[in-house]
Amino acid sequence: MSENRIRVTVNSKLTWVSSKPLGGKPHELSALDHAMALHTVHVIFYYRANPFERGLFDSDFSLSDLLCMYPPVMGRFARGDGGNWVVKCNEAGVRTLRASVGTTLDEWLRSADASEERNLTLNEFEGGGLAIGLSCPHMLADPTCATLFFKSWTETNRGEPVRHPPIYHLPAANARRSLSMGINSIKYLGTKSKSAESPSEKMATATFRLSHAIIKQCLAQIHDECPDATPFDLLAALFWIRIMRLKMPRHDQKHSLSICLDVRKPVHGPIPYGYFGNALHFSLLSLDAELLDTAGLGHVAGEVHRHVADLHGEELLSGINWFESRKGEIGQYAQPFRMYGPELTCISMEHMITPKGSTCELSMYEAAFEKGEKPVHVTYRVGNVEGEGLITVMPSPEAGLARTVTVTLPEEQLAELCEDQAIMDLQPTMLLSGKT
Amino acid sequence: MAQILPLFTSSVKLKYVKLGYQYLVNHILTFLLIPIMLATALKILRLGPVEILNVLKSLRFDLVQILCSSFLVIFVATVYFMSKPRCIYLVDYACYKAPVTCRVPFATFMEHSRLNLKDNPKSVDFQMRILERSGLGEETCLPPAIHYIPPSPTMEAARGEAEDVIFGVIDSLLQKTNLNPKDIDILIVNCSLFSPTPSLSAMVVNKYKLRSNIKSYNLSGMGCSAGLISIDLARDLLQVHPNSNAVVVSTEIITPNYYQGKERAMLLPNCLFRMGGAAMLLSNKRRERRRAKYRLVHVVRTHKGGDDKAYRCVYEEEDPQGKVGINLSKDLMVIAADALKSNITTIGPLVLPASEQLLFLFTLIGRKIFNPKWKPYIPDFKQAFEHFCIHAGGRAVIDELQKNLQLSAEHVEASRMALHRFGNTSSSSLWYELSYIEAKGRMKKGDRVWQIAFGSGFKCNSAVWKCNRSIKAPTDGPWQDCIDRYPVHIPEIVKL
Repeated sequence: MSENRIRVTVNSKLTWVSSKPLGGKPHELSALDHAMALHTVHVIFYYRANPFERGLFDSDFSLSDLLCMYPPVMGRFARGDGGNWVVKCNEAGVRTLRASVGTTLDEWLRSADASEERNLTLNEFEGGGLAIGLSCPHMLADPTCATLFFKSWTETNRGEPVRHPPIYHLPAANARRSLSMGINSIKYLGTKSKSAESPSEKMATATFRLSHAIIKQCLAQIHDECPDATPFDLLAALFWIRIMRLKMPRHDQKHSLSICLDVRKPVHGPIPYGYFGNALHFSLLSLDAELLDTAGLGHVAGEVHRHVADLHGEELLSGINWFESRKGEIGQYAQPFRMYGPELTCISMEHMITPKGSTCELSMYEAAFEKGEKPVHVTYRVGNVEGEGLITVMPSPEAGLARTVTVTLPEEQLAELCEDQAIMDLQPTMLLSGKT
Repeated sequence: MAQILPLFTSSVKLKYVKLGYQYLVNHILTFLLIPIMLATALKILRLGPVEILNVLKSLRFDLVQILCSSFLVIFVATVYFMSKPRCIYLVDYACYKAPVTCRVPFATFMEHSRLNLKDNPKSVDFQMRILERSGLGEETCLPPAIHYIPPSPTMEAARGEAEDVIFGVIDSLLQKTNLNPKDIDILIVNCSLFSPTPSLSAMVVNKYKLRSNIKSYNLSGMGCSAGLISIDLARDLLQVHPNSNAVVVSTEIITPNYYQGKERAMLLPNCLFRMGGAAMLLSNKRRERRRAKYRLVHVVRTHKGGDDKAYRCVYEEEDPQGKVGINLSKDLMVIAADALKSNITTIGPLVLPASEQLLFLFTLIGRKIFNPKWKPYIPDFKQAFEHFCIHAGGRAVIDELQKNLQLSAEHVEASRMALHRFGNTSSSSLWYELSYIEAKGRMKKGDRVWQIAFGSGFKCNSAVWKCNRSIKAPTDGPWQDCIDRYPVHIPEIVKL
């Protein structure tokens, strides 16, 4: 492993600005944005062909034109009046790095470690191939809007109009809603804010790509116990069970899974798809340790399914409103706490799948710079995750029911998970797991 | 109220007196000739036709005498027309517009400054203060090599910038004037700080496959006033070579000269100098008279290098760490004012109307003989020129000249706006300013333009142009997409 460590060399660093001067008001961050302050978001897109052969300065001015629509992306954080964070839209620019990687794209996908992937970098691979990575503080954007930003860039580059232009301000009707429903989530968030710092362990990541056929087979197997299970329910349940088996068995307590969903709805929702900022909802699903151990996959999947189905509309928004209610006397937002953790957290990316006729369209895999050149792989990573670990369930480029699951766990647990029989039975393709 | 009225009436009376005096002195010949002609005409009419015929018959005209006198007249006329200097026309010119990816807003510049000068917060503060008061806007451009952290000023990058700017601007000129590159007889390129081998003019000859008997010149090291020096050289060459075209390219290549050290006096140019370039087509061909935009009237060059202080005022040297930069001395403004005075003394008699010259003469005599305490009379150059293009060297230069020449805000608007939109583009800034005036639709036939440039050495050069045909807006040029936003109000200090 050690000889693979320094394979990425940074060649140059510069700053990219919009094509027109914008000069806007400071972009204010919501309470939920403030709460996410301890984390960072990293999204990386891998392409087989390099769309920027001639270098950034010679290519079309698509990024410059795009930045005209996204003044907060170019700005810098500053403390506004009242002590809350705002983004000063001063056009300081997007820091861009250009690096070259000493291996080919395929080899990298097979063997790289998650820690080697970096910030808004254009990583060029030997023999062609490019990885474009976007990093930003979670306070500014969540994975969905980071993906939409990137997708808008590819649309601008192709000369097409941007499908989901960013919306910075929600209609006022959503601002104030009563906290009547969703007592559970509020209690959950309350306990989370007071929980102590857990000891930090070294985390490692592995990615499992599961094919459409396998998932279909599994869904058929649990059909009796849970007829409406989605691939997310199935995989969340499966990985939860397998990971719980690896941890120190605690039979007297409940095991919890924190489920993170995106609140945006493509059409007619209180929060539109194009909203730029954080729109995530965290909720807790607790089951008895014994139940988890003994019950079948179908039962647990059913629990997950029921939990997710129960969360709708008002419930999702009430979580956001809870943050708003924690304002101080002078309107200052409360201190941020670790949102991802300490329990095992599971992020769902199902909202990125839009059914289109007989097939479906995957937002992140539509980000093609040139027609037909879709990304080969997309990685999502959240920085500063502590506690038991993080599971991300994302669509695969294969489409249909295929999914890619990224698991971040303490090192030894991850090694054991990769050997786990139940998971090996699903014949996953291992990516970016640090093994050659 | 009562007090203001007499003042007002007295000032109005003074204005009319002044106007009357100006009309009288400027048209004195007409005033003298008209009564004489009238008197003669009356006398002749009184004589009557018969008397006139008798007078004519009495003058005995010999054939030889008539032939000799007519040959003399023709001879004198020919000598006069042959020795008259050729008319030099500025057919058209083009200015460089940098791609939007090279734009440098204030925040980006300051952030880069903080990152590159990590250990020198005082220098960073200094740069910020300069930038706040500079009069630059958010759309000025720096070449790609300077955008990197840290900047990567290689020779290859400098050549790349030179190619982008010079070829861009010449392509634009060739397209505007429909000129065939093979018809270029004289080529002059001026770029002060970047002088590779082969020269930039050789680079142009190579790219456009110009003729092998072209007269090419490359002027380097002559500072921001090199543009007008090139025009002067072109004019002299066009006097010697009849029926020729001359292309003059003025630019400044920023890449190799970005100061990377921490001395404050040397950081100033980093804040002000930006990418830019211009190309002009000059001609002495008579058929260009129809379509030429301007005619060159005077070029006046003043060199104060004989004075040691003036010579060292803009000096390129190594700082204590060995990094090369341009040191600007603190009395730059004083020296500039002095050079300007020198230049005005020469150009004044050439362009000022007789009324102003007489007034100046009277006050001069008065100061010498009667009372040295009399204020020196500053001639009113607004009567000699309709438009002023002052080199956009910095806000201080424009303020100083506005005060010295007593110009209104509208006269210096072109200079201020060019500084705001393009920054200090060195020798080509005069052409961006001229382009601004045209884009605003203010250039009419017969208008006179005064271009003033200052440069290291210390030099002050002036050129006087006369507009040959009215130029209708909208014009194509660097201001095409943004002229509607101008003029903007530029605050004294921009909040960063």
